[in-house]
Amino acid sequence: MKTFLQFVLFMVIAVVVILMAIVLGGSGAWYFAWLVGTGMIVLITAAGGALLDAQDEHAADEARARVADA
Amino acid sequence: MHDITVVDLSRWQFALTALYHFLFVPLTLGLSFLLAAMETVYVTTGKPIYREITQFWGKLFLINFALGVATGLTMEFEFGTNWSFYSSFVGDIFGAPLAIEGLMAFFLEATFIGMMVFGWDRLKRGQHLAVTYMVALGSNLSALWILIANSFMQAPEGASFNPTTMRMELGSLTQLIFSHDAQAKFVHTSIAGYVTGAIFVAGVSAWYLLQRRHVELARRSFRMAVLFGVLATAGVITLGDALGFIGGQAQPTKLAAMEGLWKSEPAPMPFNLIAFPSQQEQLNRGQVQVPYALSLLVTHSLDGTVPGVDQLEQAAAARIRDGIPAVSALQALSAHPGDPAALAQFRSHQKDLGYGFLVQRYAADVSKATDEQIATAARDTIPQVAPIFWSFRAMVAMGLAMLAFFVLAVIYSMRNNVEHKRWFLKIAVWMIPVPFLACETGWLVAELGRQPWTVYGMLPTWMSASTHSVGYMVFSLIGFVALYTAFIIAEMYLMVRAIRKGPDEPHASGDGRLINDRSQAARVAGYAEG
Repeated sequence: MKTFLQFVLFMVIAVVVILMAIVLGGSGAWYFAWLVGTGMIVLITAAGGALLDAQDEHAADEARARVADA
Repeated sequence: MHDITVVDLSRWQFALTALYHFLFVPLTLGLSFLLAAMETVYVTTGKPIYREITQFWGKLFLINFALGVATGLTMEFEFGTNWSFYSSFVGDIFGAPLAIEGLMAFFLEATFIGMMVFGWDRLKRGQHLAVTYMVALGSNLSALWILIANSFMQAPEGASFNPTTMRMELGSLTQLIFSHDAQAKFVHTSIAGYVTGAIFVAGVSAWYLLQRRHVELARRSFRMAVLFGVLATAGVITLGDALGFIGGQAQPTKLAAMEGLWKSEPAPMPFNLIAFPSQQEQLNRGQVQVPYALSLLVTHSLDGTVPGVDQLEQAAAARIRDGIPAVSALQALSAHPGDPAALAQFRSHQKDLGYGFLVQRYAADVSKATDEQIATAARDTIPQVAPIFWSFRAMVAMGLAMLAFFVLAVIYSMRNNVEHKRWFLKIAVWMIPVPFLACETGWLVAELGRQPWTVYGMLPTWMSASTHSVGYMVFSLIGFVALYTAFIIAEMYLMVRAIRKGPDEPHASGDGRLINDRSQAARVAGYAEG
């Protein structure tokens, strides 16, 4: 049931997004660009934060390996 | 006849309240989506430090939001108190987006902001994240409706003048919302807010790194802010070009003022990099030009031309002459409503009605306006060139400086060694005022460039104001300046206090252990020597 509800929710979101793209793409191209661009900027920003953690963990692993080698 | 001193004081009052207000707005627009990005990392990785980061910047967001709302509300009332003729003339159109803003965006924002602040322990992670996104969306939708209203003033679309009701009426809400100017202006302004939020977070984080306090919070915040900022700055420059292109077609007088273009020239036209425009003599002193650049920048072609002030004044004089019969017809219709001859005369000249109003400032009976009065009115259609010319260049220079800053910041941050670049961190702190100044100068270009109109080509500014006394205007102007200055001082005090205090809880690592900033600093190679 939970999967079904999630499926319905995501399908509704997909349909809304497609409809918005059709409507805004024709008469409001800049608004559509803002929606897509903002989403992209936010996600790249979030990925940048996660990447910093990965870089830190990688650096810590390398430091541990150097200590072990020594 | 309006007292021009009252009109000027009304303009000063609106300009000052708007400029004060817009010191708060861009940070709200940008910080809200940065909070959403920070919380997205918290929800997807589950690391408590991202919750702490979101809550800390959320506190600064709230301080700014509260004062932004307080300064914005008075402006909506100002339309009624100081610009009553304007409100009556275009209220049917201008009121609609303002009402939608109040009902839709403001309520959305106000409802979800409470849940965002108090919902951390009451909502599930995903639910709270959705709430934060709704706050960000609400903040930006709020700006959308205001900018749609402003765009109507810049390039009136979707409305027409009704000679029966003697006011403008909305013909198409869709045309109003989807006008090119509204779209370009919203996207440019919203993303300028993103840049402001990014510089603010990067600058404050840099200060923490310089102080070696809250290092983990600062490193992550800096990384996210500069990525957010570099993309947003690239966007705002691109969209600024688009807005210039669209705005230049809608308001050629503003474009001529932005470029200090007194005389029309053949293509390819040079760009005035530096010049000292003289309004009186209609020429530039000490100008430094870049060959071909104006045609390329403004028309995206080497063959394109832009009309100069000389050509625009001639065109305005012709339109004033054409608008005079429309104003005369309106006066006849006012005395004898429904007069078919007057109505027919109005219909054939209505496209230049606004230009007819311009000469009414100098000739109460417009049908007897002299050539000299028409020439003076035509000269009025050219806004003050020097402040627009320099505001535009200041805005562009600051935009390019921010792009350079963000590119370098991304390089250092991605190399994970920004902590060692203390000179750069100092620059980052000093960059904090830059986007605010860029936003202010951008608005100066937009609003000074629209003069002498409140609604471009339709309603002159001199007709739009209320008929207050000079004493009343001076008193209220002083009151507003004092009140808004107090707001700014309060904001600065609260912000600085919250930043000095830092996050509420000590940083926690991913597995819940407390992180000591000193040991964390020592872990990052070379930091201790920095």
